[in-house]
Amino acid sequence: MSDFAIEANQLVKKFPARSGTGSSSLPSPLPAHGDAAQGEGSREEEGSKKRRRWPFGRKEPKATFTAVNGVDLQIQRGEIFGLLGPNGAGKSTTIRMLCTLLEPTSGTARVNGFDIVKQANDVRRSLGTLLAGERSIYWKLSGRENLEYFAALYHIPQNIAKKRVEELIERMELKDRANELVEKYSTGMRQRVAIAKALLARPPILLLDEPTLGLDPQAARRLRELIAELKQEGHTILLTTHYMEEADQLSDRIGIIDSGKVIALDTPEGLKQRIEQKEMIRLEVTGWHEEIADKLKSISGIENLISRQEGEADLWEVNMQAHNSRAAIPRIVEHISGNGTRLVNMNIVKPSLEDVFIHLTGKALRD
Amino acid sequence: METSLPSRSLGQPGFLSDLRAFGAILKREWRIFMRYPSWMIALFIWPLIFPMMYILTGRALSGPDGSGLKVFTQTTGATDFIGYIVIGTTVWMWQNIVLWDVGFSLRNEQMRGTLESNWLSPTWRFSYLLGHTGPQIISMLMFIGITALEFGFLFGVKLNGSVWMILLVMLAAVPSIYGLGFAFASLVITVKEANAFVFLIRGLVMIFCGITFPISLLPGWMQSFAMWLPPTYLIHGMRAAAFSNAGVTELLPDLTPLVLFGVVWLVIGYFTFLLMERRARQTGAIGQY
Repeated sequence: MSDFAIEANQLVKKFPARSGTGSSSLPSPLPAHGDAAQGEGSREEEGSKKRRRWPFGRKEPKATFTAVNGVDLQIQRGEIFGLLGPNGAGKSTTIRMLCTLLEPTSGTARVNGFDIVKQANDVRRSLGTLLAGERSIYWKLSGRENLEYFAALYHIPQNIAKKRVEELIERMELKDRANELVEKYSTGMRQRVAIAKALLARPPILLLDEPTLGLDPQAARRLRELIAELKQEGHTILLTTHYMEEADQLSDRIGIIDSGKVIALDTPEGLKQRIEQKEMIRLEVTGWHEEIADKLKSISGIENLISRQEGEADLWEVNMQAHNSRAAIPRIVEHISGNGTRLVNMNIVKPSLEDVFIHLTGKALRD
Repeated sequence: METSLPSRSLGQPGFLSDLRAFGAILKREWRIFMRYPSWMIALFIWPLIFPMMYILTGRALSGPDGSGLKVFTQTTGATDFIGYIVIGTTVWMWQNIVLWDVGFSLRNEQMRGTLESNWLSPTWRFSYLLGHTGPQIISMLMFIGITALEFGFLFGVKLNGSVWMILLVMLAAVPSIYGLGFAFASLVITVKEANAFVFLIRGLVMIFCGITFPISLLPGWMQSFAMWLPPTYLIHGMRAAAFSNAGVTELLPDLTPLVLFGVVWLVIGYFTFLLMERRARQTGAIGQY
């Protein structure tokens, strides 16, 4: 048995892509919910392999889209590992390979000691997976019927399944409505059924893909508490999210993934320490325009400037990293004042995971 | 409080576990089917509507005194032209419904988002497709039963043969009809839009298999082509069993090709599934909708 719960070596996933007719738009290998679809991966053309386009006999290069590009992971038993990255970074594609829904183009991975290609069924037996959230269960069945059904699919003996279903209904606070059709549930309740489904077989490893996506703050908080409890019970958890706070709060270690590559891997504190020598300046500004951004970027010691509009009002949040904020602030104020632009608020803050991400990739996580 | 968790899950693999999983798939399908009550309306209306089109055309063409029907009897050997047409149209409906129901079963799961969650379990993946056929066969038997009752009461169609022989012919046709459905369902996972293919298949059955006329009326090459379509034998066998009181011996020329086509189509269906399942894993098509 492997020392690691999950171990991936140089995992690569390329998708075939139709060559466009002059358009540079990327294909959508996983258009519905796969993050690869959003187009952060790289597109290549295999010039050596030519294919014939019937009936005119024109040859065109076979294009591929690289969603995951040499991912290495070693996840310890019992830890919560957060895989963090923006839409299209390769998080969901990585998870889909680890849970055997996708076959890697190259590289190897073992889950609970089993090879994801050669021992796919043993891998599936070792995993509880939350993918596609509330859509992963049957809305025309009740919560209880869903759990009984999936218990049979996971080959849990009938007597154990019955107890396990009741236990999970109780734990997920679904007892009063367990016999109602799932279509009548709220999003949070459906997500709880989906999580109960993942826990049915009491698998040693849980893969949770964006577990709090679409949940209201209270339901999301309750779910984060549950994830922490599951770790206490001994589950290894691989969590993907694009919520920084969630990854920070839950994860023992975090891998930051961008353009299909793991670009940093450490504890949340370790990641933040990487940029502690820098200061984060956060401004709130009205009347913002891109020319000001160019002026601020030209100030010595200022880097990784990111601006985003806050709500519908003309209020912008502007974040930047500075080597020496005392020297930079007077010049920042000078550039912002005037021409209809007004500085509303300014703070120098401790680096967050988002700042780490900006530092590493030069872009915001939710871009 | 940290507790240690066994490195194995509660699942116990084995043949019986797979069988129980298959039972759960059948039960799930049946429950979902029963929770869409609108199918009941279709079940009573469709058996009447589709054959009526041909029956009324036949009546119009046979003249005011129905004398034209004698020509029909001379050509087909059938004295009951309504029964003759109803068997043809029912077989057409059967093939058509299988293509829509079984053929789009995995695609519907894919669009609902449940295909991935099913395929994440260690259950044999082909059983999801097999599981869709159970409720489909039951609803189809109900459809055929209601057709027989409606035409018996409303049009006086009388059976001149054994119900068991009719069921035997239908049983022999099940593997070929559903095998084609399996192959089709597998293709649809990656092809996605396959309506045109359904229209093509049912068009072929309509023209080549003689749903309202004997295939002897067709030109030679069309008759030869019809011999490669299982519904040709199913329609012929069911008519012989229902109206000519044919026994097993008389039905053998229809039963034998039906069984052979069944074996071929089941094998094609299974291997198409394996091929497409592999292809979907490589291209990421399982999660697309």
